Amino acid sequence: MSVSPLAAGDRPTWQPGRRLLSFGALLLALLALWPIGGLLGEGLQGLLNGSAQLGPDGGAQLRGTTLLLLGTALLGGALGTANGWLLANCRFPGRRLLRVAQLLPLASPSYLLAATLVDLGSRQGLRIHGLGWGVLVMALSTYPYVFLLSTESFTICGRRQLEACRCLGVGPWNSFRRIALPLALPAIGAGIALMGMEVVNELGAVQLLGIPSLSAGILQTWQAEGNPAGAVGLALITLCIVMVLLVGERRLRRSSRRWTEGVAGGESPAWPLQGQRALGAQVLGLVPPLLSLGIPLLWTARNLDQLRAGFSGELLQLTGRSLGLGLAAAGLAVAAALVLAIAKRWSSAAWLRSLTFLAGMGYAVPGAVLALALLLLGSPWRLAPLLLLLWGYSDRFLAVAKGGLDAALERLSPSLDEAATGLGCRWPAVLQRIHLPLLRGPLAVGALLVFVDTVKELPLTFALRPFDFDTLSVRVFQYASDERLAAALWPALMILTLGLIAALALIPGLERQGQDQAPSRG
Amino acid sequence: MRITRKTADRNAGLLALLLASAGLLAACNTSGSQVIGVYSGRHYNTDQELYDRFTAETGIKVKLLEAKDDALIQRLRSEGSDSPADVLILADAARLDRAAHLDLFQSVDSAALEAAVPADLRDPNNRWFGLTRRLRAPMVNPAQVQATEVNSYRKLADPALKGRLCLRNRRSVYNQSLVAFMLDREGEAATAAWIRGMVANLAQPVYGSDTPMIRAVAQGRCGVALANSYYLGRLQAGDKGADDQKLSAAVQVVWPDPVHVNITGGGITRHSQHPKEARRFLEFLASNKAQGGYAAANHEYPIRGFGNDPVLSAWGPFRQADVSAARLGELNGKALDLMTANGWQ
Repeated sequence: MSVSPLAAGDRPTWQPGRRLLSFGALLLALLALWPIGGLLGEGLQGLLNGSAQLGPDGGAQLRGTTLLLLGTALLGGALGTANGWLLANCRFPGRRLLRVAQLLPLASPSYLLAATLVDLGSRQGLRIHGLGWGVLVMALSTYPYVFLLSTESFTICGRRQLEACRCLGVGPWNSFRRIALPLALPAIGAGIALMGMEVVNELGAVQLLGIPSLSAGILQTWQAEGNPAGAVGLALITLCIVMVLLVGERRLRRSSRRWTEGVAGGESPAWPLQGQRALGAQVLGLVPPLLSLGIPLLWTARNLDQLRAGFSGELLQLTGRSLGLGLAAAGLAVAAALVLAIAKRWSSAAWLRSLTFLAGMGYAVPGAVLALALLLLGSPWRLAPLLLLLWGYSDRFLAVAKGGLDAALERLSPSLDEAATGLGCRWPAVLQRIHLPLLRGPLAVGALLVFVDTVKELPLTFALRPFDFDTLSVRVFQYASDERLAAALWPALMILTLGLIAALALIPGLERQGQDQAPSRG
Repeated sequence: MRITRKTADRNAGLLALLLASAGLLAACNTSGSQVIGVYSGRHYNTDQELYDRFTAETGIKVKLLEAKDDALIQRLRSEGSDSPADVLILADAARLDRAAHLDLFQSVDSAALEAAVPADLRDPNNRWFGLTRRLRAPMVNPAQVQATEVNSYRKLADPALKGRLCLRNRRSVYNQSLVAFMLDREGEAATAAWIRGMVANLAQPVYGSDTPMIRAVAQGRCGVALANSYYLGRLQAGDKGADDQKLSAAVQVVWPDPVHVNITGGGITRHSQHPKEARRFLEFLASNKAQGGYAAANHEYPIRGFGNDPVLSAWGPFRQADVSAARLGELNGKALDLMTANGWQ
């Protein structure tokens, strides 16, 4: 647990504003936990009465999910961290372009990647099937989480230490291993935890690739066997796996707590790479985005003749809905995450800290189960489906917005807040004049991730949308799961385009972040 | 001060963005006077044209929600009596039967529907009615497997086919219904042995979808595969491009005698607010003028006759087995257990 900036000793007198902040956080956390809590009873009942049984494939499903999780964390974690470091602290031709390119895989939904890969393979007589391919697909579509969070940390943290390394003649590899990596561990851990939650809940891609998984088991128990209590019980088991992930990440974070003074001084200690090393860095940065975006595009190129046939004016409506939902969800989730994170920073109350931590659990609940919870919740109150849908998105993606924000706030030295409070600022002023300007990067990253995730999101949208309210992702999945990929082409291209626009919108933020580090320009 | 103003600007910008997105969402909602809500497990663009024709003819508007069949069943259950759905359309007899058992349908009294839909393709209590037919049959690569080797489902378990058979996984409800069909005809012991025989004949690990499996047949990596007819129909009609059309030309459908027939069907929901309009909608879909379009959208067979889809005509006629769709639904659970117990992955 982090230390409240004002927890030690000279806490100023009672401030009504801070109560308000805690109350707001409490309200948000309860809103986030309400649907999950509602299911808890049913899930426990399912576990107790024995209907929450894994089927005869239970062992295989548990094994499949665990291996997929480990493989993806290893491959994706390595890809994300390596690229995060190389693109933040090394200089080689094409670096800027590659930095942006790392965001591209976010635009490509994993089920689309899997479907186009399987389809391309089957045309060539190659059977794309099994765990290895699953790890590849999941790592390619989720490593940007690790990249985004780690590169931010690599850019900001430990510049003075790295400079010292350089002065002492320590090379880039050793500087990375001994200084930068330990400093970035919280961010990498947060990224891997997000990856893990995504993997545990992935359904479309793993089914297409024939990997037995807990998520498929849950859906089977719930829908095909009509046993919601059993499904929720299974979801609780999944939740336990995710809890282990999260707690592990927090421990990691606690053991490597470092603070920076907001804007660390010093020119960027970038290592120029040349020759084979530069080539290696380029290949490492190029291959993952090339695969995750290139496979769907290659598929498109091979089906160009069908591009004209599939176009319809409806596409504009679908795009409008996806865009609207994405923007609304991004705004809501980021705002909620900010309130929770700031409240946690200003309070030393253990209950508040636990609550803000638990509020992010929505991401760990399978989308379909969360949808069930919201339907049960919303029906008696006759809540509009759209409202439920936005509630679901914000609940589910709160962790995405919160992950980077928490990591960034923890890096900010409490002395900043102490200085500001010493000068008479209350939390709104500190937020406005210190935290917000310093959190611009993480806030933008969080909003982008939530936006892209919402545009790609399936189970919630599927289950909660009202009549005549299809979105791009719904269409893509419907067509793809019906084995009519060609019909999915246009909506899929629009998802990619929206993702690309969102990624491009982030570049100024990333660049500014880089520039802010240089005091001569700040 | 500079920072403060910038932050305020950004906040205003964010607010504007939120409002704009709310506006975007609101603009996408429509409402009307005489309207029915349709939950459909089908998703073909031509369906919408058909529904538009229904609206033009009757003045009844159709609000549509398309999703996976199981998810629709679940949604209808959770919504209970507040559900805005009047009609539920699902693929596969087993799912229709499940929805009926969950009391999601009401009984429909319609002479037109009873006349249009043969008795064995509708619920005995008239809660759901078949609307199109789909056949699950062996598809062979004639260079590897002769039609005579697989002209009955039973022969797929023949050890002579060892290393030449491809199957989709047991999660596929189409496979479950086929096993239910065998259960009804052959009994439990023979069906269990049949499953074991087929599993022993597998050339590849089970597939997750039909299309790659049919391609594998065309490429000679499987000699014979069990697939739904319309998947081959799409390939051979060129819906998936010229390459696939050329590739799939080599694949030949073999009709076992009799052939296992499954359906897409629909019914009126238990809590429908507009049962009269919903009945007219079902009658329209089952009528001759709509049938061609509804089945042809997916290269399925109409509920009666063989239709006039050129691809289907080339496959020739078949004799339909007399196992009713309702019976397939009844036996679904037992079929799935049997598949699990006998090694169908």
